[in-house]
Amino acid sequence: MRRLITLSYRNPDLPPFSVEFAGRRRRVLDLPLIAWLTLIWVLLWSTLTWANVVTGVVVAVTLCLAFPLPQVDLGLRLHPWGIIRLAAYLLYDMYTSGVKVTRQIFADRPHRPAVIGVPLRCRSDLMLAATAVSVSNVPGGSVVEVRRATATLFLHVLDADRPEQLEAARAQVWKLEELTVRAFGTREEIGRVSEPPPPLPGSDVGEEES
Amino acid sequence: MSAWLQITDTAGAVLVFLGAAICLLGVVGMVKLPDVLSRSHAATKPQTLGLLLVLAGVALRLRSGMDLATLALIGFFQLMTGPVAAHLVARSAYRTGQIEGGELLFDDLDAQLTQPGQEPGAGPEQDAGSGRS
Repeated sequence: MRRLITLSYRNPDLPPFSVEFAGRRRRVLDLPLIAWLTLIWVLLWSTLTWANVVTGVVVAVTLCLAFPLPQVDLGLRLHPWGIIRLAAYLLYDMYTSGVKVTRQIFADRPHRPAVIGVPLRCRSDLMLAATAVSVSNVPGGSVVEVRRATATLFLHVLDADRPEQLEAARAQVWKLEELTVRAFGTREEIGRVSEPPPPLPGSDVGEEES
Repeated sequence: MSAWLQITDTAGAVLVFLGAAICLLGVVGMVKLPDVLSRSHAATKPQTLGLLLVLAGVALRLRSGMDLATLALIGFFQLMTGPVAAHLVARSAYRTGQIEGGELLFDDLDAQLTQPGQEPGAGPEQDAGSGRS
């Protein structure tokens, strides 16, 4: 006999915390996603009443059934201590680099920007995207291009007058990557970012070109 | 009690003022900086910091639970969406050649884009996907 509703701990193929509805068209609902959508709904109404919560759940379930997402395990894990560290570092970095960008805006001499490639250590799409988002929130660089196959971020760095500054920009990206993955990553990814940064592929790129 | 209210009100006003001043700095940067990519630095980052400060100031003035949560939601979405918009602007600016090649000190991306076979998904480096789902 087929179950009408399967919870994810009975079926290891399903992503964690999800429900499968067996019917003519098989639908999988992601419970954390529904909880998150409901939370946003309640916050948008800005009053916590039962009516809001119930309508929020109804809207979220309807949305997830009408626009089903691909069933993948994103690899999102929440580590509270890591999130606190990431947030503190981001705030501190926003302040210091805000000062830096302000100084560059009012500097009279022209500065030389550069585009650098930074190979990352994490491999999952979500961690790549989260690292890109946190990197572009701090004024160290803005992301021009993300290469998924090699997990490389290409950054535009505002002041690149000296090679040390480029090295510092790379080191900052790796630091942010490690903090981001320690906040949201799976254990496997955390192990990956604990290793030292990969060597730069810049030299062999130059050889192929010439 | 009213002294505390006075203090938080003043602190909130100061934070809102600071945030607005930082946003203004970003606008000055957009006018002064030379090219698209540098301007996108000035357009996104001070705005984010300024908006967060304004939200903190407003939170100090409002002081009620649901409003604080809504403000946190606004800040969260600003942090999530700003980089995406900035990245798309930067990417299209780079790919349509809005960047003066001589202005850059050096450029890792140019070699990658001009080499065939290095496009995403077409390269030989597919062994990277061990942990990718």
